[in-house]
This record gives sequence, C-alpha cells and structure tokens, in this order.
Amino acid sequence: MFGAFRTTSSLGGGLLWKIPWRLSPHQKYRHRQRLRAVDKVVETVANALAKKGETLKAVERWQAEMPTEAEMLPKDKYTIFDRKEKKYRKGIHKLPKWTRVSQRVNPPGY
Amino acid sequence: MSYFRITLHRSAIGLPKRTRGVLAALGLHKRSQVVYHPVEPQFAGMIMKVKELVRVDEVDKKLSKWEVHMERKPDPGFYVESAVRRMEDGRAGQGNEGERVVVEGLRTEGGEEVRL
Repeated sequence: MFGAFRTTSSLGGGLLWKIPWRLSPHQKYRHRQRLRAVDKVVETVANALAKKGETLKAVERWQAEMPTEAEMLPKDKYTIFDRKEKKYRKGIHKLPKWTRVSQRVNPPGY
Repeated sequence: MSYFRITLHRSAIGLPKRTRGVLAALGLHKRSQVVYHPVEPQFAGMIMKVKELVRVDEVDKKLSKWEVHMERKPDPGFYVESAVRRMEDGRAGQGNEGERVVVEGLRTEGGEEVRL
C-alpha cells in the first residue's frame, strides 16, 4: 500500500497524463487574448479589402457565423459540446491543439 | 499600394499539412518572421487559413529584411558623436612615425598622400 511498490495509476500503467477538469483563471485570460488576436486579424483583413472595394467569401462567412470574443457567452468561450460528457460539456482545453484552432460555436440548445 | 505585413506568431508544429503548406506559400518558415504581401483577395484568403498563427497589419510600405531587423534591435544606449582615427596596432613608438605611406582609397581632398 505504501512505499516503492504501491499501486498508483501512474506506476501501474506507465504513462499517465492528467488534464485538470477546468481552466485556471490565467488560462482563461490568455485564451481571451488569443480569441481577440484572431478577431483583430480578421478585422484587419476585412478593412484592407474593403478599402480596395474587394470582398472575400471566407471573411464574409466568418463574420456571419462566428461571434467575436465580446459577443461570446462564457459557456462557449471556456467549454465545448461533447455528447459523451455529463451535461454535454467539457473544458475547451480538452480539445486537441486548442490554443491554435477556432472553436466558437456549439450545437444550438446545448 | 498597401501591403499586409504578416508575422508568424505561433508555430504550426503538429498542425495539418494543408496549414503548413499555406505558411510555406506565404513564405513563413520560422516564428517572428515577417513577410509582406500586397492587399489582394488571394493573399487575404491565405491569411484567413492561418489566422490563429499570424499577426497582420496593413502597411503602406514594404520594409527590407535589414530594416525589419533594425526595428527589432534594442537601443544601444549611446551614439558616436564623431569617429576618431585609430592608431594602428604595433605602430606606436617604433620609430617609424612620419613615414610616408600611401593608403589606397584614403586621400585628402587636395590629392595629397596621407601620413599615418
């Protein structure tokens, strides 16, 4: 039960990574900064093209479908829909490459 | 003519090949690298593909690689008011002062030889 031969999950199974179930306040802060940075890029591109009188489908679609950081609900900012979870939500940090992908909308009603 | 000034802020390690391909097409190979592309839909589309990884500004002028480098360089904290001519190594006090030496490319305005 104690000592070098105790059976813990990490000793028993080898590699064990634990991802905390929730984000820390600082992780949430940095996540908001990243969301804002993406908003800024889209805005810059849209403004630059508008000045030339051009439009781009990718930009229009983004602006139509994706809420900006300020418009997002905290629920959508920090959690993501998952059908296997209790109450259908898990932390956004469980999403692979979550700091470098855009995940802003979830199924309606969840 | 205006340009997109695109800086690669986040690395594309572990991201799909398509994403890395877009970065390569933009000419971005390492973090903090800066490239300039004209404001046109084709480049805007490429930026939209990698918007999570880059920082974009709209600028009027393209800067050369050297100018971008100098932008990043911190202030040295001093400046040279006027350059002073330096004594050559080993020459001082060897008795051959006053010797007339012609140095190529180093002449006074009157075309006289320069004494070192």
